[in-house]
Amino acid sequence: MDYRKLEARLRTLDRKYSFFVTIARPQRLRDKGKLSRFLVSVKDCICVEGLQSAAGSRILEGYIPPFQSTVVASVLGEGATIIGKTNQDEFGFGTFSVNSGYGIPKNPHDPGRSCGGSSGGAAGLTAALPDDILHIALGQSTGGSISCPASFCGVVGLTPTYGLVSRYGLIDYANSLDKIGPIAKTVKDAALVLSVIAGFDPRDSTSIKREPEDYTKGLDRGVKGLKIGVPKEYLGKGVDPRVAKSVWSGIKKLESLGAEYQEISLPSTKHALSAYYIIACAEASTNLAKFCGMRYGASEPVRDSFNEYFSRVRTKYFGEEAKRRILLGTYARMAGYRDQYYLKAMKVRTMVIQEFKKAFKKFDVLAAPTMPITAPRFSEIEKMSPIHQYTMDILTVAPNLAGIPTLSVPCGRAKGMPVGLHLMGDHLQEEKILRTGKSLEAGK
Amino acid sequence: MKVKIGLESHIQLNTKSKIFCGCANPVNMKEEPEPNTVACDTCLGLPGTKPRANKAVVEMALKVALALNCRMAKETYFSRKTYFYPDMNKNFQITQYEIPIAEKGSMESAGKKIGIRRVHMEEDPAKLVHIGGLGGKHVLVDYNRAGIPLIEIVTEPDFTSPEEARLYLQKLESILEYLGVYDSASSAVMKSDANISLEGGMRIEVKNITGTKDIERALKFEIMRQGNLIKRGMEVKRETRMWNPDLGATQSMRGKEEEAEYGYIFESDLTMLEISTGMVSAAKKSLPELPDQRFRRFVKQYELPEKVAESVISELDLAELFEQIAKRVSPKLAGTWISGYLKKTLNWHNLRFRESGLRKEWVISLLKMFESGRITDRNAEMVIRYMVEEKRPPEKIIKKHSLGKAALDLDAVVKKVLEKNKKAAEDYRKGEKKALHFLVGQCMKETRGQADANEIKKSILRLLK
Ligand SMILES: [Zn+2]
Repeated sequence: MDYRKLEARLRTLDRKYSFFVTIARPQRLRDKGKLSRFLVSVKDCICVEGLQSAAGSRILEGYIPPFQSTVVASVLGEGATIIGKTNQDEFGFGTFSVNSGYGIPKNPHDPGRSCGGSSGGAAGLTAALPDDILHIALGQSTGGSISCPASFCGVVGLTPTYGLVSRYGLIDYANSLDKIGPIAKTVKDAALVLSVIAGFDPRDSTSIKREPEDYTKGLDRGVKGLKIGVPKEYLGKGVDPRVAKSVWSGIKKLESLGAEYQEISLPSTKHALSAYYIIACAEASTNLAKFCGMRYGASEPVRDSFNEYFSRVRTKYFGEEAKRRILLGTYARMAGYRDQYYLKAMKVRTMVIQEFKKAFKKFDVLAAPTMPITAPRFSEIEKMSPIHQYTMDILTVAPNLAGIPTLSVPCGRAKGMPVGLHLMGDHLQEEKILRTGKSLEAGK
Repeated sequence: MKVKIGLESHIQLNTKSKIFCGCANPVNMKEEPEPNTVACDTCLGLPGTKPRANKAVVEMALKVALALNCRMAKETYFSRKTYFYPDMNKNFQITQYEIPIAEKGSMESAGKKIGIRRVHMEEDPAKLVHIGGLGGKHVLVDYNRAGIPLIEIVTEPDFTSPEEARLYLQKLESILEYLGVYDSASSAVMKSDANISLEGGMRIEVKNITGTKDIERALKFEIMRQGNLIKRGMEVKRETRMWNPDLGATQSMRGKEEEAEYGYIFESDLTMLEISTGMVSAAKKSLPELPDQRFRRFVKQYELPEKVAESVISELDLAELFEQIAKRVSPKLAGTWISGYLKKTLNWHNLRFRESGLRKEWVISLLKMFESGRITDRNAEMVIRYMVEEKRPPEKIIKKHSLGKAALDLDAVVKKVLEKNKKAAEDYRKGEKKALHFLVGQCMKETRGQADANEIKKSILRLLK
């Protein structure tokens, strides 16, 4: 493959869809390693040495990391070719990728609709590239940012167990929630990338110490005897009935392949959303403190005290949603509010984890819709209040809070747009959700 | 007027590397490194970098906590303390908040029990270099300091005078040196913030008091200032002040309404630290003899008077010097000299023994001379002074400055020689220069080389006048 021709193709695609923040310079493609034939796109918040990594924010424009993130080093080590940095909601703040400082990625199934967020560029690009191009996107999820766009764009999104994949080199949104994972055309490709990027990294203290695993191995083992739990809270009010119908047909398909399912209840889910937004915003508001125009990224002429200067840079270069989350997060951790918001949210989080742990004593995987809706039109998003937008994450935040692995797999369409089925597994049980996803995919 | 003082001291630890990255710890470097040469991506807080905790810091903090009789946490966390300041690489400092590594300890200082509220670990921010002074147009940032490990030790408000606070800090410094976690002779810094309240006034925090020398001065100033306000019937409002050693005064930094709000949250890039009983017992085992224990041993084993023992043990260097010297000369003599003349001279030059260039052999041979009556007390003291200034062994100093006992009676010796050699004296008077050489030679013989030839010459000339 000629990279120059490829680059031209990517640029044409980008002009139409805004999938990229940065497209990489021409380079020689390599032919050794597990990913030698693969092009890899990297979400803008994951540092690539020598390539602008701005996390979709204007405040980081011009930041070129002098070091390599562990995941990018891993895929490069297996011969992958990095093609560029994909568009996203600024710092991951959003469900529809409309909060980017670098244009809004458009859904390849209908350019009038959102790709989902926050890894919108990653999922859109994955869906838009023709099958003859092997491509995998490295995405990142804090509260659903891999699953949501995978669902809206009709591709596969894998969010690994928290700590399975090193976060070294990731520009943080919320450190206790952030996970890097692949978005791919097929379950097998996602499993292949996970095999390459999973593993202990001494540079990330939250990284789990365990032996490397080949996730592509057990993919074809099928689902015979697999016990699936279907949480009723995830298919109730607020879920588009056409989405629910598609998801049920997916579950029935798994049943026909030998799995058993049973409805269960996960009552903590209703508290998960507020707990998630409090913890995520509290952490984000501290992570974003360092962006002040002093060391990297955007800057302004200095003419006043540091306080005024920092405020001026932050006012000018942060987007509206970033400012909203800084305010929310700062409020939640201030003396006087800290106990009733931040510390209470931490307790809810423990409750959510315990509830999932209990469910996984009985079930191998849980199945639910990934998103309550299909990709909305941009005109519909404009009408949503911030709170309404936050509620769209209701189905993805609980597993993200718990740090359990999830896989969004396409399971048909509703109103012509893709629907995603969300498979959730116990910590480090990626093998089970991948195998289930593969069965669903094969049964298409 | 009744005074209540509490101290919060921050001490730079001498671990090999910094607290959250692999950079070398600049406090161990002989010369101060060029700005920003001991700073990595993590020290700069670049987006994408992650901290990783240096185990050695935890081990040192445990030792300190044990020496201060603290209760250890079973599990401890790091937290983020967020505030905007140009010396902060991330605009938050990684420190400890809810559950510090240790709490509820105590220290015996000057016959009084001082409560230790907590001991915790944190990172040092970068250093600001004010070009053209504090009012200058811009400030430079040196990230070499960013990430130097600090322990913060907070006392209860148990001090009732500036002197008590100073004695505590001196003892704390000596404990830290005994533990081998801090070296006051290196570039490592101990900085304290003091909380002071006078009866009838609010609590005032005074920041930025460096070392052990300024604490008394800063506190005395602040007590006088607050006392004057109260006397004049004015209100002592709660505020934070800064000690300015150049002015010898404290200056207002911010009032209560501007009090910083740090919005602490857990640092989730770092995992919970489990302080196992194994770790605690390993730290216990590695504890050296501490100042109090050494004091008791010196009093018992060497029969040192308590005052002398206390003075000798207060500095690790001197305590170790004492033990080596006490093997060769009388311990009492060694103790008196070390705590007396030697300490006085070193203090005068603001030096630690190990920085002074003095060798223990020199001190031993000087004390031996004194013991055998070959040098007077006064001259021996002068030898110590010259040794520190000239960095030469005592024999050479004695010769050069004629401080041997012979010099005292030089005139008597010369008189005796002149009596014996009247002819030679007469010859010299007549102008025979050679006769002088002869007389000097005779005097040298008489003093067995203890006296300096020039001094003898001067004495002869004086007596022959
Ligand atoms: Zn460093």
